[in-house]
Amino acid sequence: MAEFLFEDIFTVTRLDPDGKKFDRVSRIEARNEQFNVYMQLDVATDVYPMHAGDKFTMVLVPTLNLDGTPDSGFFTQAGRKTLADKYEYVMHGKLYKISEDKDTSTGQNAKVEIYASFGGLLMMLKGDPSSAANFELDQRLFLLMRKV
Amino acid sequence: MARPEEKLRCTKEPFIEDVGTRRIKSIRFSMFSGNEVRQSAEVQVWNSRIYNQDMRPVPNGLLDTRMGAANKLGECSTCHGSFAECPGHFGYLKLALPVFNVGFFNCILDVLKCICKSCSRVLLMEKDRLEFLKKMRNPKAEPLQKSAIMKKVRDKCKLSRCPWCGFINGVAKKGRAGLIILHDCSKTLDGSTEELRDALSHKKEKLSISAVRMLDPATVLSLFKRMTDEDCELLNLGDRPEKLIVTEIAVPPVPIRPSVFVAGGRMSNEDSITVILKSIANTNSILKENLQTGGQFMKCFDCWQHLQLQVVEYINSDAPSLPESQHRGLVQRLKGKTGRFRGNLSGKRTEYTGRTVISPDPNLRITEVAIPILMARVLTYPERVSYYNIEKLRQCIRNGPHKHPGANFIIQPDGTKLHLKYCDRRIAARDLKYGCVVERHLEDGDIVLFNRQPSLHRMSIMSHRARIMPWRTLRFNESVCNPYNADFDGDEMNLHVPQTEEARTEALMLMGVQNNLCTPKNGEILVASTQDFLTSSFLVTRKDNFYDRSSFTLLCSYLGDAMENIDLPTPALIKPIELWTGKQLFSVLVRPNACTKVFLNLTVKEKIYKPVKDRIYKSCEAMCPNDGFVYFRNSELLSGQVGKITLGNGKKEGMFSVLLRDYNSHAAASCMNRLAKFSARFIGNHGFSIGVDDVQPGEHLNQQKKNKIDEVYKECHDLIASYSKGALALQSGCDAAQTLEHKITGVLNQIRDAAGNVCMNTLHWRNSPLIMSQCGSKGSPINICQMVACVGQQSVGGHRAPNGFIDRTLPHFPINSKTPAAKGFVANSFYTGLTATEFFFHTMGGREGLVDTAVKTAETGYMSRRLMKGLEDLSVFYDQTVRNASGGIVQFLYGDDGMDPAKMEGEDGKPLNLDQLFMKVMATCPQRGQNTLSPDEILQILNDKLSEHDASSDDGCSEKFKQLLTDFLEDRIKLLKTTRRALRLDEDHVGKDSSIAESVAANISGISAKQLQVFLDTCLSRYHSKKIEAGASIGAIGAQSIGEPGTQMTLKTFHFAGVASMNVTLGVPRIKEIINAAKKISTPIITAELLSGKDVLSARIVKGSMEKAVLGEVAEAIKIVLKSSQPNMVVKLDMQCIEALHMGISADSVQLSILNHPKIKLKSEHVRVIDKAKLRIYPAAMDKSKLLYELHNLKSMLPKVIVKGIPTVERAVINKTGNRYNLLVEGTNLLAVMGTPGVDAMKTKSNHIMEVNRTLGIEAARRSIIDEIQYTMNSHGMNIDSRHMMLLADLMTYKGEILGITRYGIAKMKSSVLMLASFEKTAEHLFNASYSGREDQIEGVSECIIMGIPMQLGTGILKVRQRLDHLPEFKYQPDPIIA
Repeated sequence: MAEFLFEDIFTVTRLDPDGKKFDRVSRIEARNEQFNVYMQLDVATDVYPMHAGDKFTMVLVPTLNLDGTPDSGFFTQAGRKTLADKYEYVMHGKLYKISEDKDTSTGQNAKVEIYASFGGLLMMLKGDPSSAANFELDQRLFLLMRKV
Repeated sequence: MARPEEKLRCTKEPFIEDVGTRRIKSIRFSMFSGNEVRQSAEVQVWNSRIYNQDMRPVPNGLLDTRMGAANKLGECSTCHGSFAECPGHFGYLKLALPVFNVGFFNCILDVLKCICKSCSRVLLMEKDRLEFLKKMRNPKAEPLQKSAIMKKVRDKCKLSRCPWCGFINGVAKKGRAGLIILHDCSKTLDGSTEELRDALSHKKEKLSISAVRMLDPATVLSLFKRMTDEDCELLNLGDRPEKLIVTEIAVPPVPIRPSVFVAGGRMSNEDSITVILKSIANTNSILKENLQTGGQFMKCFDCWQHLQLQVVEYINSDAPSLPESQHRGLVQRLKGKTGRFRGNLSGKRTEYTGRTVISPDPNLRITEVAIPILMARVLTYPERVSYYNIEKLRQCIRNGPHKHPGANFIIQPDGTKLHLKYCDRRIAARDLKYGCVVERHLEDGDIVLFNRQPSLHRMSIMSHRARIMPWRTLRFNESVCNPYNADFDGDEMNLHVPQTEEARTEALMLMGVQNNLCTPKNGEILVASTQDFLTSSFLVTRKDNFYDRSSFTLLCSYLGDAMENIDLPTPALIKPIELWTGKQLFSVLVRPNACTKVFLNLTVKEKIYKPVKDRIYKSCEAMCPNDGFVYFRNSELLSGQVGKITLGNGKKEGMFSVLLRDYNSHAAASCMNRLAKFSARFIGNHGFSIGVDDVQPGEHLNQQKKNKIDEVYKECHDLIASYSKGALALQSGCDAAQTLEHKITGVLNQIRDAAGNVCMNTLHWRNSPLIMSQCGSKGSPINICQMVACVGQQSVGGHRAPNGFIDRTLPHFPINSKTPAAKGFVANSFYTGLTATEFFFHTMGGREGLVDTAVKTAETGYMSRRLMKGLEDLSVFYDQTVRNASGGIVQFLYGDDGMDPAKMEGEDGKPLNLDQLFMKVMATCPQRGQNTLSPDEILQILNDKLSEHDASSDDGCSEKFKQLLTDFLEDRIKLLKTTRRALRLDEDHVGKDSSIAESVAANISGISAKQLQVFLDTCLSRYHSKKIEAGASIGAIGAQSIGEPGTQMTLKTFHFAGVASMNVTLGVPRIKEIINAAKKISTPIITAELLSGKDVLSARIVKGSMEKAVLGEVAEAIKIVLKSSQPNMVVKLDMQCIEALHMGISADSVQLSILNHPKIKLKSEHVRVIDKAKLRIYPAAMDKSKLLYELHNLKSMLPKVIVKGIPTVERAVINKTGNRYNLLVEGTNLLAVMGTPGVDAMKTKSNHIMEVNRTLGIEAARRSIIDEIQYTMNSHGMNIDSRHMMLLADLMTYKGEILGITRYGIAKMKSSVLMLASFEKTAEHLFNASYSGREDQIEGVSECIIMGIPMQLGTGILKVRQRLDHLPEFKYQPDPIIA
């Protein structure tokens, strides 16, 4: 069984916080309740429309193979059963940066930000350091999403 | 048994530099005596006729066949060569009487001034003579010093009585008209002349003796003949002085003055030299006849004068003593741009050259140039036949000269040349042997030089590989437009084909496009994508660009010519449908397959990048909502829409620069090739055009524009109203009208900016002009604004439109109107159209621009030429010093660190861009679970590394670089610490356990030992590879680097330096001032730092003590008191004002200043101090009649007496920079400003270089030259490596005084006569050189070019010595005991 690097249920709070800049891509702001994880994600709304208030589950995995064999990095023709079958929206990309939250000097628990790019569609995930434990720099990631 | 000697056989013999049997080592300039002229001549010319009746040259005429063939049909009767073979022979023409040589006239005069007109000895006392002789004989004296000594001798020779023979000498001087020397004894008369005059007055006839005698050439000649050799030496004569006077004329060979038959061979057109010589011969024969027949004296004399003038015309037809001449004399043939020196010797016409129109072709590689078949058939390359190419060459021969891969000639090993047009080509091909040379047509892959004029820098001529193509234009990749500064609106370019294998190699290695991607001006990349390439890259990397499998693979196939494997990446979107993004396509472009080992790492902020402002959830730069942050990680484009800053030229952090530095020029070039091909094909399918709808403003925009214009107009009207009421608050140093202008201009300029911003924000993203401006391919927001919204204020000479009519710009407006519309504000856009008046104003602005460009090309061209002549021979030697051609050291270490400016990666000429390099190391060398280092360990490793040998100071790295490295790593450590603090970990010690927090911290900012090691190794090895190579002609490069940006500078002269109304000369005029070392500059400004710079009050006091105050300003009254006893003047000082302004003036100080005034000649008893504020002044003249006049004169002079401050200071302005105040002082006298109390003399600077030199010395002047050029260039947005400036400054100062790069300065820097003659004042330098017998070692660049000798620069710096004789035989046995 493939290991999930991250799994959670989010609610879209806002669409395009800086104004709509692109026709077919929107940036969504989403957060969950229990972990207080905050996320910004570019979604190709042309093929997978999203609206404020939508609730969705999101998973980050290193491979789509059900048995957990590592992803080869090369695309193989579909046909086999994969993890993607259970989800509606799947993206592939790369984790390129991990950083600490810049303004946590006030105390509180330090937050860690994880940045990934899915061929230019960017993701920023902000959460507790523990949620970032499984991530590594330059890791290949699959992002799977399903509305609930 | 000796084996037959078997020599190693090479296909090509080792290259032996062909130095010939003799090599010209030096040239000595001297003069020919009449005898020598006669000896070197073949024939005496005395007949003034040229041709006889049947058009044959007359014997002993000017075209005597013994002097060579006069045209192609003739034959030389001395050597029997044809016109092409025989260079000709000299003849001579004997003059009946000697005449002066006009070129030496001043020298003759100088010599005459120094010698006794009776005994020809130097008019010096024996002691002086010996002293001067000793100085002159000093072997260390340079020619320049010698001529200075000669001048001193001349000034010293003022004895009126000759110490040798007692003859009374007068002054030798130039006659009023013509070439006449007069001996004026009128001032040195003694008793005997008086006696003579007395005696004469008794005679009846009116006889007057004149003390002025004429020294005719014959007299002078006899005087010169009697001079002793020692005296000649004293006068710096290299030869006998009688040679200064012409007795025989050398008649030049006929081939250099060809004679052309016209009108069917019945008449001939003669060269102007022949014409002049003919009239000389004519006059000469008349003179001779007159002399022989004993004609009248006056007649003979006139004839002699006439002959003199004709000889002058022959030598220099522009001589001032001549009337207008139609002919070109010898001097005219030499001087000027098309003269022998500049036109024929320094630049020569060559074969194997082509020129035609250029056009673009993105499918060519950047290193290629497409050559039309038509051209390729004419341009040939001599290829030697060998085993490997014989079949190819046979085919070429069979094809012949008319079919393309053909050949034109075969050169047999015995040297015979066979033209393939006129022989049986099949037989020629069959008989082809190894060792023949075939002049074959140009073929694909041949190396050619490609050039576009003006050749302002070395990238204006580069070597490409040929690609033979049909049609008629030369074609190349648009990426290479930049270095040539070419466009395709009809430009033509030149092509040269190197003819030897050595030349090809050198061209490819040194001039190849691949090796010249960067400019040595500042290390920025010059060959890079332009225009459409940027647009299509910008379009394709847009965030919402998705491609399905078919279109993505199609686009991938655009990258190359189906020659490359392409690895298809995993699609970014897998579900609901497979989609790839444009950014993935770009990643494929950078690294098409896994075999390409190129890992690009960079971050760039594009033009569209906007930092995210005050949000609760601040995120990193890559999350820019405009997608303006370009982030490449391991050749993957993670974010950002690429544009000009990433792909374009003129940036150091761009993608191609990084590829070039981190990998090699091939990586950058192949990426450029792929991008060019892809872009052209993509945009061809995608389509990109502009139409009227692109410039139609929307409703919102119109409304906003109208509001803004109304608002600004109202503001302007208010300003004008307050101006006319006189209520305008003045700006410092301006009057009311200027203040009004400043304010109105400022307000009006806002309109365009505001409208531009609105345009950029409201236009649709598909708007073509908007796209072009965003990605940087063409146009700026202002251009869009002018098309869509508002053209804006037109300026002429930096001001609003001037008044062309009386008190108004155009008769459409009321007189004295200052409203925006009346002074050239154009409220309409190009779309809406301009009104008549607006149109007129717009043309005024446009015209200024045109005139500007025309003026500045000439100006900067001359500047570049001078710079080049000044710096051409400077090069780096093997000991890292910079020397000139004669070995004089200019710099001990080039640029203080010996780095090559072309290879600098960082800003401001820093060798490395450490941030980028660190990022690359971190990305390409992952931690992979290795432990990260603690701060102390990092510093430990760094110090270990820096103490190793190749990093040590003596021949490793400079201290500056080490400091840079240390600072950088300390910053990193700081970052590491903040991360660890945020994660609540121990700051200084890295735990070895693998807790979650530890691993996260390692991921965020940890550095492993391996990574640090790799980073430091890369830094050091790269640093060492950036050293400048020995032989680099950095002088020429420096001259080009300073000259070339000059052409881009707008001639806009004035600019504000911090304070409004304070003008500084900038642009080309300022650069000119600096490099001319001008004594008087147009805006001298001294920047004075204050000791207490935070206090405005103290600044005001210092300012008050500097600015000059005249008596009229501080006096309450200056009155004339008329009293019968003693009329006087009373000056009363305005003490209130003086105290309020802290001026510190009292009656005593005023008294002193009046006494010191140069024009008021009063003594202390005339100026009496009555009390603290009152003075009484009595006129000096005692004469009653002039008293009133004197008083009024004083009254007009007194108010102008400077009582306080520095007289040369115009004004001082207080300037605030940061929280400190300093003073900008307009005017000169740095010394006085530095001495003013309250001024920090250590930090006070002046922009007047000559004054800095006077006050602070040569080193300060050098620094000041560097800073001033840098400042001027920077304020025009030009970035030039400071090493070039240092070199220029060092050249200008290395002689100990400041030498401008002008004809006077260069003459003091260089010793070569030929170089100076090829620069300016050709004839003068040549005549002076032959007067003093100068010797020119052929070592500089100009001299070597003129003499056709390889120069000692670049690859010519080294000489390969090889032993050509046999090696001595070794004996493998002990020497015999008994020999």
